Amino acid sequence: MERLRESSLKRRFGLRLGEAAMWIAAAVFIIPVYYLFVTTFKTPEQALLHPLGLPQSWLWTNYANALQTMQFGRALSNNLIISAGAVTGIVLFASMAAYTLARRRRVYSRVIFGIFLAGMMVPYQMGILSLFKLISEMGLMNTLTGVILIEIAYGLPFSIFLLKGFIESTVPLELEEAAKIDGCSVFRTFASITLPLLTPVVATVTILNVLATWNDFITPLLFLQSRDKGVLLLEVFRNIGQFSVDWTSLFPMLFLSIAPLLLFYLILQKYIIAGMTAGSLKG
Amino acid sequence: MGLTKWKMNGRLEPTYALLLLPALAIYGLFFIYPALSTFVYSFTNWSDINPRDVEFVGWKNYKAIFREEIYMTGIRNTLVYALISTLLINALAIPLAVALNRGFKTRALLRSVFFLPAVFSPLIIGFLWSYLYSTSDFGLINQGLAAIGIGKINFLGDADLALYAVIFTQVWQWAGYNMVIYLANLQSINPEYYEAAQLDGAGPLQSFRSITLPLLAPAITFCTVTVMISGLKVFDIIYSLTSGGPGHATETIVSLMVKKGLGEGFYAFGSAFGILFVGIVGLITYLQLRLVRLWGER
Repeated sequence: MERLRESSLKRRFGLRLGEAAMWIAAAVFIIPVYYLFVTTFKTPEQALLHPLGLPQSWLWTNYANALQTMQFGRALSNNLIISAGAVTGIVLFASMAAYTLARRRRVYSRVIFGIFLAGMMVPYQMGILSLFKLISEMGLMNTLTGVILIEIAYGLPFSIFLLKGFIESTVPLELEEAAKIDGCSVFRTFASITLPLLTPVVATVTILNVLATWNDFITPLLFLQSRDKGVLLLEVFRNIGQFSVDWTSLFPMLFLSIAPLLLFYLILQKYIIAGMTAGSLKG
Repeated sequence: MGLTKWKMNGRLEPTYALLLLPALAIYGLFFIYPALSTFVYSFTNWSDINPRDVEFVGWKNYKAIFREEIYMTGIRNTLVYALISTLLINALAIPLAVALNRGFKTRALLRSVFFLPAVFSPLIIGFLWSYLYSTSDFGLINQGLAAIGIGKINFLGDADLALYAVIFTQVWQWAGYNMVIYLANLQSINPEYYEAAQLDGAGPLQSFRSITLPLLAPAITFCTVTVMISGLKVFDIIYSLTSGGPGHATETIVSLMVKKGLGEGFYAFGSAFGILFVGIVGLITYLQLRLVRLWGER
């Protein structure tokens, strides 16, 4: 009895020690992000003297300048339009397509699914030269619409893959057939029976595509040239050369460009972690 | 019955097809068409200087790629980058996941902290690390090195070091994300296996080798393949940390496609490089899947 208690005590102690070690590792791991954050409130002199210390006085003028220099409001609203437009398009079109691909067992549906699957393997970067030509010929150069359409095309394959798998494994066919017997059209059955049952996988698809479209740099870089169409990443990119010496002015811009996603992560971290890892072990 | 069912489905088929249409149209126009036309362009002499009289030139562009040193450097850098980042990220993520898969009270919080860097754009991560690596007075890493008596190291300016310095930032950014995938896999392993192994006198290292690793096969397959593929496509982090330099020490396939293909107007040439790129990605993914399967059967 005495020995048993001793060994359980030892185990608990070992566990605490392990936990403390993990927290030290996590602290080292997160230093770059912490450093970015505290530096935004410092003068260059302060930052040089105490790089990792908390700011002596919290300097907000860095932020005021950064907001203005990077035209934060306009860039943010372009980001929001692109992500909202692309994600809405992806969720809607991918679930419609996945429904047909899951419920029709004909040759055409297998062939089309194969074509979408190919998009998961082929890196889209291989076609950027002809995409560039296509976009300029269509008059979509320097438009948010063009970028939204491209983001939809890139987001469709994996989203269709996830949605089709979910429909096949969890949406009961009997429900749909009952609706059909009651005289529901294909479209109404899809919209009023199937779609509401897709909530969990739609959440995953939404989170994945919000992150992918928000963090995509190469598409806005190539297809949005004028400054008023720019997104946050492009603003940072444009200002980096000019401010490379004046680094305490630049750090608030870096932080502001990740702040929206940081907020998104802090609020929804449980769902984001689940969403970003979903599908990984089923595939 | 059979006939009416067939008839009904036949009548319904167009509606089903209609549901496919928007996805197929957008994907076909902005993904499939550029991919196929890239293939066609790769056999022509289309360029900025020659935009109109486009003719077929056979394998000329492909042969030219193998003659130009910069493209070979780009392919070599990309392969080194992808291979080393795949090894390092997974070698770090697995032990982290195993360590975290114990009854810690703060496990969920720790998981969120390690995962955090994965949420941010590699472009911003690159700009941040270019300051951390800097040899100027404000470079945090060199300040630390100076404090412990080691001289300054020019991580990004040294052609032998730069690529590895870039890899290090991506190991930092993606280890936590992959750790979470391993953790999910670990939690599906039945704890009774470990109890049985312990009764048989197996030490922790032995049960890791004979229970944990084999049962982690699904996560190992997923993580090594996806990290490898995204490594082969690397662009943002290169653009923000080194823009391919010093010299061409960190130039990669996609960075060359943007710089040479679009920037300098060698369209057909860049298209051939794009097709070669797809071939490389396909070949490596295939070999990797074969390798993982062989390991699984063993």
